Amino acid sequence: MSDQSESVLQSEQADRPGLRELFVCMTQVAFSAFGGGMSLWSHRIIVERRQWMTSESFVTGLTVARLFPGPNQINMSVYIGSIFQGLPGSLAAVAGIILFPFTLLMLLGLLYFQFSAIAEVNRLLAGLAAAAAGMALSMGFKILEVYKTDYLALTIAVIVFVSLQIFRFHLIPVVLVAGPIAMSLYWPRGPRR
Amino acid sequence: MTAIQTRWHVVLTFLKLSLFSIGGGNTLLQAYHHEVVDTFGWLTNRQFSDLYGLAEAAPGPSSMLVGLLGLGAGWKHGPIWALITAYSAEIAILLPSTVVMLIAAAYWNRWRDSPWRIAFERGLGPVTLGILFSVSVTVLKTANHSLIAYALSFMVCFFVLKTKISPLVFIGICGLAGVLGFVR
Repeated sequence: MSDQSESVLQSEQADRPGLRELFVCMTQVAFSAFGGGMSLWSHRIIVERRQWMTSESFVTGLTVARLFPGPNQINMSVYIGSIFQGLPGSLAAVAGIILFPFTLLMLLGLLYFQFSAIAEVNRLLAGLAAAAAGMALSMGFKILEVYKTDYLALTIAVIVFVSLQIFRFHLIPVVLVAGPIAMSLYWPRGPRR
Repeated sequence: MTAIQTRWHVVLTFLKLSLFSIGGGNTLLQAYHHEVVDTFGWLTNRQFSDLYGLAEAAPGPSSMLVGLLGLGAGWKHGPIWALITAYSAEIAILLPSTVVMLIAAAYWNRWRDSPWRIAFERGLGPVTLGILFSVSVTVLKTANHSLIAYALSFMVCFFVLKTKISPLVFIGICGLAGVLGFVR
């Protein structure tokens, strides 16, 4: 495992982050992502600031994280931890992304149930939710950048969107149909790259 | 329902859903609502919407909403049981999917030269893009109940993309607009 990880990353990074760095970095990502839009923040910290990965391999990781079941950010942590330090790396990264934020959120939750009768609390939460939704939307546009000249990709994306949002098909059948079709359209031809 | 029974119902509910959370936790929003509000009556509709806002706004993965839902389910048995139920709920939703992802991540690089993997990565990116926009629309509809709320969401989206201003600034502005009563 470690040999392969090394060869994958040769072109990207000479020294790999250790377990503590992974934990600390993911905690940093989690706390920066105040108000959602976490993929945006992990991109900013891991690719732009720490330069652990290229933008391309980050998007690959994000794709894998989204394809498999589970919350994207948890899966992304598993993926990032795994390519640098295998299983222990994954556990360190997942612990980093969730341990402190979760404990903090549960304390806020207890306060909410204690004080939810207060109208200002409800109004504040409505405002925060609106901001969070905007951040979630911005991530879609950020990924759109990657594909903006690839008309085949855009066509596939539009068809998937329409199936889910307009025709209200369930996600699982949509992925099971659109996935293999998209894969065959992008099947590598001739020598790679 | 006793505290222990509640906890078991919570754990089984989220264990069952874990492997269906494809394309990110938000795709399960409807399912959570169905179980927590309609089936078990652990939370009211308004509480569900408030907790969604809280989970989205707080630092950390938005999938931590499940912990808050567990907290709500256990709340009537006191704060200690609420916390125990909350941690149980979060572990239940994460455990199955994380085990699958661990296996996937461990083998991903071994399939590096396989045409299957290359096609998988290149082909499924655009599929993910479509899912992402669809989930965004669902999130917009769940979070926003007025035109002003929608306007705020679109403004945040625009400024996050076009400027380097910290998103925290927008969170603050939207929170303030909320408190002043503009959003709902």
